[in-house]
Amino acid sequence: MAEEDTADERVEELETLQSIYPELEINLEQPTRPSARINLQVSPIAPLQIIFEPESAIHRLSYLPPLLLDLILIENYPLQSPPEVKLTSSWIPKPTLQKLEKEASSQWEEYGGMQMIFAYISYLQEAAESSFGLSSLKLPISLKSAILDYNDQMKREKFDHETFDCGVCLEPKKGSACYQMQRCGHVFCKACLQDYYNNCIAEGDVNNVKCMAPDCGKTGNAAIDRQKKERLVSPKELLQIPLSFENVKRYAELKRKKKIEADPTIVFCPRSWCQGAMRTEKYPKIVDVSQMEEDSDDEVIAEPANDGAGQEEGQEEQPKKLTDKERDKDRLVVCEDCNLAFCKQCLASWHGDYYRCMPRQPKDLTEEDQASLNFILANTSPCPECTAPCQKSYGCNHMTCFQCKTHFCYLCGAWLEPGNPYKHFNEKRNKGCYQRLMDLATGDNGDGGVQFGGRRGAEQQAEFWEREALRIQMEELE
Amino acid sequence: MSTGAKKRIMKEYAECAADTPAGMKIIFDEQNMTKWEVLLDGPDQSIYAGGHFKLEITFPNEYPFKPPVVSFKTKIYHPNVSNDDKGSMCLGLLRPDEWKPPNKVVSVLRLIQTLLIEPDIDDSIEPSIANEYKENRKEFDKNAKDWVKRYAK
Repeated sequence: MAEEDTADERVEELETLQSIYPELEINLEQPTRPSARINLQVSPIAPLQIIFEPESAIHRLSYLPPLLLDLILIENYPLQSPPEVKLTSSWIPKPTLQKLEKEASSQWEEYGGMQMIFAYISYLQEAAESSFGLSSLKLPISLKSAILDYNDQMKREKFDHETFDCGVCLEPKKGSACYQMQRCGHVFCKACLQDYYNNCIAEGDVNNVKCMAPDCGKTGNAAIDRQKKERLVSPKELLQIPLSFENVKRYAELKRKKKIEADPTIVFCPRSWCQGAMRTEKYPKIVDVSQMEEDSDDEVIAEPANDGAGQEEGQEEQPKKLTDKERDKDRLVVCEDCNLAFCKQCLASWHGDYYRCMPRQPKDLTEEDQASLNFILANTSPCPECTAPCQKSYGCNHMTCFQCKTHFCYLCGAWLEPGNPYKHFNEKRNKGCYQRLMDLATGDNGDGGVQFGGRRGAEQQAEFWEREALRIQMEELE
Repeated sequence: MSTGAKKRIMKEYAECAADTPAGMKIIFDEQNMTKWEVLLDGPDQSIYAGGHFKLEITFPNEYPFKPPVVSFKTKIYHPNVSNDDKGSMCLGLLRPDEWKPPNKVVSVLRLIQTLLIEPDIDDSIEPSIANEYKENRKEFDKNAKDWVKRYAK
């Protein structure tokens, strides 16, 4: 009779606990040894630093795989002996586990033979908040993926249950409908992110595929911020938002194309139906978009490439110091798309090493090519950095190259200091451009069809010196 | 224009109507919500005090992915406003490469108010006026006040 009472008391204690912790599993198969198990969450307040050996990277984790507590309420519990406890964890070091297990008896003693399991669980939970006193941990690499995955999954779950105000549509949205940017942590709703990035990619404006938050990565100083290279979102991350595979592929290809086109050492396939770029290790072909992380090679654009300057439009001579042999060595290139082997210099299909060829002359252009070239010469200003031709449709004469983001003057083609691009228009010595920031604000054909002819820089300078010469002559006459 | 964009403009208007920044009035037409008319008083502490300026804010179809376009319908003598019949502005967050979708019209209006109090000389659209502001402040003040009398009363 007395025994039954104690058994009831033990079961009662477990049942009470279960009403507090619904996830507690009670096992009464052995009536004399009621047992229970519970998974305890380990989410330390200060993230725990973990190194997965032999790697040396430190991971700061806020969610760790749970600690499993097995309890057996033996016959003499609680009056004469503590419960049997067993703690199991894949990652907590053995000594720490043993210490925590011992704590069960100390607590039992402290409570003087009273029911103490609730107190013990509370103790473990509290200890978990401070990572059981561990400040950093070294674990074998075999545990890495399981532990990191768990951390991500828990973060995701917590995030999904929160509510965020999307700064674009201005609506409150459930976390599950939102996405948090990997690098900076800004949150927007998926629908707005998709709209914005798809729009940028459709327009070819890949330089705007970056975090939408106004202050993201900004110092607040316009002069410094204008010079900063902005970080674009990686294709891998775009797929996670998610954007469609086709769009992400287009994005990756556009980015690569921009870099290739901004590089004067690259020549293009002479077959008019192909026009692929030559094969080069500098810009590897895109193999798997889903694995493309953030670019580390964004600086490639700015790299001045002088070794192949002579290829450009085939008009200039090769630098003289190259011997014929040296020059010939690099003439053979292969199209990355159609595999045509051709000569980099004369753009004919490959003629062998011992053939002397001349750079292709402008008169060799087809009529159609010549017509487009004429139009480009007459109606555009080239970017001083990458020579991409630009045509203005609206706005002031401070241009930002769509291709390489260089700042330049639309009137004279001068490179402008990114920190203070407007200075150029405020200095008297820049005769052709002084106080002409807003000239042709309505585009080339605005203002009643007024047009600048030809390559603005050279032409304007020629005009200026012509006038100067005339003025000097006049002065001398007088 | 997408329904999302229309919704956002409506929301922004509701926010503005509930808490209009001091010294301005917004005229909103639900039939043509992509064009707002704003009546802006010259801020008290500025040279434009006493003037009333009519502004037009036009929302592009891609709003909020592209910035709104601001134009002064009332002529104003100011280094950051183009001195023509358009009265356009092209600086700070109004530049297409600096605009971010979470920016709101209110921040644009606040920027304009700040610029009336203190022009941004390094980012001027009218270099000659900027120059005058820098080198001959008296003359600038006189001209600006004259224009207020002439056009903004």
